[in-house]
Amino acid sequence: MLLAVADHGYTVIVVLMVFLAASVWLGTMAQRTLEKKKFLEGFLLGNRGLGAWTLALTATVQSGGTFMGVPSLVYSHGWVVALWISSYMVVPLTGFAMVGKRVAQLSRRTGALTVPDLFRERFNDARVGVLASLLIIFFLSFTMFAQFKAGATIMKLAWPGSGPMVLSEDIIVQPAKDVPAKKGLDYKYLIGLLVFSITVVGYTMIGGFLASVWTDLFQSVLMVIGVMVLLCLALPEAGGLQHATEAGIAATGPKFAQGPGFHPDGRSFLTPGLAISMFFLWIYSGFASPASMIRVMAAHNTEVIRKSITLLSVYNCFIYIPIIMIAICGREMFPTLKQPDEIIPTMAMHLTREIPGGSLLTALILAAPFGAIMASVSCFVLVIASGLVQDFYIRFLHPHASETEIRRATRVAVLLVGIAGVIAALNPPTYLQALIVFSGSAGAAAFVTPALMTCYWRRATAPGVLSAMGAGFAVHLSLYGIGWIHNWALSFGEGATGLPRLIVDSLGPDLMLGTASAFRPYFLMGLDPVLWAMLASAVAGVMVSLISKPPTEEHLQRIYDGPARLVTGAASPA
Amino acid sequence: MPSTQEDPLLTSARREMIVTLCIWLIAMIWTIGVSVTWGYGRDPATLKYVLGFPDWIFWGVIVPWATSTVVSAVFAMGFMQDAPLGDEEELRVDS
Repeated sequence: MLLAVADHGYTVIVVLMVFLAASVWLGTMAQRTLEKKKFLEGFLLGNRGLGAWTLALTATVQSGGTFMGVPSLVYSHGWVVALWISSYMVVPLTGFAMVGKRVAQLSRRTGALTVPDLFRERFNDARVGVLASLLIIFFLSFTMFAQFKAGATIMKLAWPGSGPMVLSEDIIVQPAKDVPAKKGLDYKYLIGLLVFSITVVGYTMIGGFLASVWTDLFQSVLMVIGVMVLLCLALPEAGGLQHATEAGIAATGPKFAQGPGFHPDGRSFLTPGLAISMFFLWIYSGFASPASMIRVMAAHNTEVIRKSITLLSVYNCFIYIPIIMIAICGREMFPTLKQPDEIIPTMAMHLTREIPGGSLLTALILAAPFGAIMASVSCFVLVIASGLVQDFYIRFLHPHASETEIRRATRVAVLLVGIAGVIAALNPPTYLQALIVFSGSAGAAAFVTPALMTCYWRRATAPGVLSAMGAGFAVHLSLYGIGWIHNWALSFGEGATGLPRLIVDSLGPDLMLGTASAFRPYFLMGLDPVLWAMLASAVAGVMVSLISKPPTEEHLQRIYDGPARLVTGAASPA
Repeated sequence: MPSTQEDPLLTSARREMIVTLCIWLIAMIWTIGVSVTWGYGRDPATLKYVLGFPDWIFWGVIVPWATSTVVSAVFAMGFMQDAPLGDEEELRVDS
């Protein structure tokens, strides 16, 4: 089996370099659209001119890591993963229709260029902006560090002779016996990291938001082509979907085709409670994530938002359902992969081996996640840098900065964030993957209520929104903390005494839910922490708003009432 | 006092948000309801296949997914309303 995937020659590295070059070219194209006069609006929001395709295919598409994670989960746990990801059926709708129109309108009306800007303007309170900014920087940083690392790793593995190319870390770090255990700096990884970072930070610095969006669009199109090609090759090879499913059942047992899914050590991958949690998590982390909200702010008009819903709905159908089918076929073709992460690269190399130009096709399929990683890095760098400039530099350091100074500060901020990413990727925090999962859902917990309050609720107050953000974050953090302590106590086993015994007695036995990571949270009543955190955030936001002093009517008119022209004249919507 | 009149975009956006929430809720009840009833602890001997999908996946995930796609498109093209988004200069001139 591994013979088929032994080596990929120079094709992959060449395709990746072409990818990088194309992105830099897109960056310089984007720079031409930047006006001198309104630099920040152009750099951060592309002059609010996004069309339907650019908005649809870049606003809520997941990062490369998440996207490549789905096939690996299907391979490991079987058909139930289709249910795990099923809420993507309404993500396009909720992503744009829950707050989209209002966010686009309010950001124009108040001149807000970032999410913290928007909250601050609505609540007329600098503390709201600062807290939102700090939370965003905190959440996005972990994800960004991981993406830097993933990008560098792909570059490294793309070198000829590196073996099968995968996104998993485990097979990379396999020190040979004669190599000292202390890991020195791997020069291939270092070169990969530098080339990757200089390119991505470079084109983001040149072209800003549009550079980021255009690369994202580019990779989204490649991704759907890759998935379609792979599906057409995999289905006949596996003898059809039904045969592949039966082979999966034969390899793992009946749980491959039933809930709550197969797990080697008997855990329940997706209990009904967790299935409901996922239906909340994907939806609410989608529309309230800062990266998706700034793209809606950049929408050209409401028609663009409407068309995007349709486009993205169709796109998701053609991405997620096929990728589940592909991974099921993968179980038939390669029943015993040790690293489930290898499934897509392994299949791609195996299926294209006899096709003329097959290695180029493989390279394109493998380059799609690389493109996704570039797009995410670029977007995160921009969001974090805009936070630094808008909420700290202009607010506190230099309130009367001129256009030239703002322009310089923005580019310096992009550069600084990029350097921080490189440093973190040189020596990544140990539990990076766990931190990413944590910060992704923590974002949903902290921002859903504030976003809804900003858009729709007149009575919401600054203390209310501050407590909504704080409570969501705090509850989420505590459930992860409790889970960590719980796992520590459980690790003592049956014969535990003293403090571990006390903890296990009060928190109960291991519920055997989810994955077997040491960082799994405490699933209170079998539900994901994000549900409890969102509930806490909503309750805190509403209660504190109601007991605090209402905002002034004069301020509210600007946010919630029609413009004077519309009110006195014909006030009919289209 | 005409200035207290609610922005028309806010009115339509709020209505669309409520309908969206209902669609999401129906999708969740359908998907999880069907999958959990038919798919959890299902005896593989009784498993039937529809177009190669296990039957509970087909009726519990694939069909609602296709339906949602159609519903989203109809919602976006037929129900959602367009409204001018306005911009900063315009408003400054007016007020």
